[in-house]
Amino acid sequence: MPGVWVLAENRSQTLELLTIGRFMAGKIGTSLSVFLCQDRESAGDYMACGADEVLLLPEIAKDQSLDAYIPILSEEAGKADPDLFLIASTFRLKEIAARVATRLNTGLCSDCIKIYFNDRSGAVEMERLMYGGAAVQRVVCQSRPIMVTVPPRTFEPAGTESGRKGQIRSLKESPRSAGRVLERKRRERESKDIREAKVVVCVGRGVEKKEDIALARELAEVLRGEIAGTRPVTEELHWLPEELCIGLSGIQIKPELYVGIGVSGQIQHVTGFRDAKVICAVNKDANAPIFGVADMGIVGDLYDVVPKLINELKK
Amino acid sequence: MPDIVVCFKWVVDEAYIRRTSSGDLDFTSVDYKISEYDRNAIEAAVRLRDAYGGSVTAMTVSVPEATKGIKDALSRGPDNAVFIADPSFRDLESSQTAAILGGVIKSRMSCQLVICGEGSGDFYAQQVGPRLAEILGIPCATYVQKITIDGGQVIAERKAEDFVEVVAMPMPALVTVLPDIGTPRIPGVKDTLMASKKPVVTLGKGDLERIPEASLKTVGMKASRMERECEKFTVDTADIARFVGALQRKGVLR
Ligand SMILES: Cc1cc2nc3c(=O)[nH]c(=O)nc-3n(C[C@H](O)[C@H](O)[C@H](O)COP(=O)(O)OP(=O)(O)OC[C@H]3O[C@@H](n4cnc5c(N)ncnc54)[C@H](O)[C@@H]3O)c2cc1C
Ligand SMILES: Nc1ncnc2c1ncn2[C@@H]1O[C@H](COP(=O)(O)O)[C@@H](O)[C@H]1O
Repeated sequence: MPGVWVLAENRSQTLELLTIGRFMAGKIGTSLSVFLCQDRESAGDYMACGADEVLLLPEIAKDQSLDAYIPILSEEAGKADPDLFLIASTFRLKEIAARVATRLNTGLCSDCIKIYFNDRSGAVEMERLMYGGAAVQRVVCQSRPIMVTVPPRTFEPAGTESGRKGQIRSLKESPRSAGRVLERKRRERESKDIREAKVVVCVGRGVEKKEDIALARELAEVLRGEIAGTRPVTEELHWLPEELCIGLSGIQIKPELYVGIGVSGQIQHVTGFRDAKVICAVNKDANAPIFGVADMGIVGDLYDVVPKLINELKK
Repeated sequence: MPDIVVCFKWVVDEAYIRRTSSGDLDFTSVDYKISEYDRNAIEAAVRLRDAYGGSVTAMTVSVPEATKGIKDALSRGPDNAVFIADPSFRDLESSQTAAILGGVIKSRMSCQLVICGEGSGDFYAQQVGPRLAEILGIPCATYVQKITIDGGQVIAERKAEDFVEVVAMPMPALVTVLPDIGTPRIPGVKDTLMASKKPVVTLGKGDLERIPEASLKTVGMKASRMERECEKFTVDTADIARFVGALQRKGVLR
């Protein structure tokens, strides 16, 4: 049975994909199916949120990673010939999506930010970022199924409708995959979600040492905002938690005010706050690209500027 | 002592892409470079060889002008290179690139570990690695932060959302690596000289199996918009006060 398929790692991602899945299923004129691996109690919920069918994935052993699902997903897709397969862009599902697409000899639109149905041509069109975010590429897929990974928080979660019914189908056991999980080390969230923050002060590589982040923190406090970092500061130096990385591979924010401190302004980072209301920067290099994308920039050494700025703001 | 293949892409330096007044991309003054994070992948491969022995082959699929990229890659420590080039390889899709790499690795090479970057600087599709693993029929771990080799196994620490998953994979295996796997070295004059003496196998379209059709078709490409006031201030106390005043007027101070 063809249809639109949804696969995600958790409930909130699933609900978002159900929103777009339901819309696309309506446009294509087909049904909506959702895969469920863990919380089986959600089956009824997902049906109320638009799923016509819930496909129960078998439990996999603790020492197996999600790649154990690749054979089942590919086999089911081979049999059912779905129209569209929507997958949440999580670290592990991005790999699964690419490998299933390879088995099915089809294309995959990675990190799709917009998807729509072209009523004139009858084609599903998808948009994604290219060149670090310098461009938006629009693609169509010429083979079946159309496969897409969608970053979490791209769509609103689906709402429930009363009286909706659906079917549940259990999928068969999967063969073990060659890799073996030895350990899972939990990573606690170390900071609160800054996507709602009105003011964000972002620390870049221009800050010389970890302790100096205190300076940016003080500025953030005076501005009543939160602190964040560029990728080198968060994911490479680990001076700030990884969930505070702003940009193409981190999070996208839309604050009233963004202040970059010692941030060069490479496109991959700028992509993360393009829609901020006001963009400010402090950088000692007058030619730094950040000044080309900022409303107001202070050219100077951050160790000189930031204390002065804090003083002035306190007045 | 694994023989390692590291795959890198030769990409346009996105910092030089301009936007025309009509919103199109202007490539007239672009330069090319080894994709940012593929330099970290090369570094990871070279460090593994230095720790465990074996060899490192750098490999790319590109246009013939990318010979510069081969030289650059070799100056970063690999022992040799495979250069698969054709003028028509400028706009390959991830599935095609993976098919080409897979075909060459299967038919001409024996390696125990394939390393790819996390994602390429231009597409950032994050697909070529896992697709290549699938084509080679070998296990794969993506977004890896740490690699060790233990007998015939690769132990990889891969990043997931709320945890790090440590996986053991029998070799041959493929990993895609995050940049904190290793900061790339800056090649010196000696490295550059040595690079030109290292063996390079160059393959053309005629040496390859049939390349599959692309599945994705680009139907539009627009430059992102970024119009800002770009006002500059100095470190003078008066200027700082003016800056804060401007923030106040914009209504973003609370
Ligand atoms: C595929 C891909 C994805 C990426 N994703 C992201 C992402 O999501 N987020 C992200 O941030 N990056 C990302 N990057 C990396 C990005 O390209 C840049 O390398 C990164 O944003 C640079 O960080 P930075 O500005 O902190 O450091 P740098 O580029 O090193 O800039 C430091 C700046 O500080 C200035 N400076 C130095 N000292 C001082 C001082 N005393 N006072 C004032 N200024 C000073 C310098 O002039 C310089 O401009 C990605 C890259 C790739 C290839
Ligand atoms: N043309 C290419 N030649 C060799 N390796 C490539 C090529 N394109 C991509 N890769 C590898 O695959 C990774 C992911 O690329 P992508 O799927 O384009 O994001 C890169 O980091 C490289 O390691």
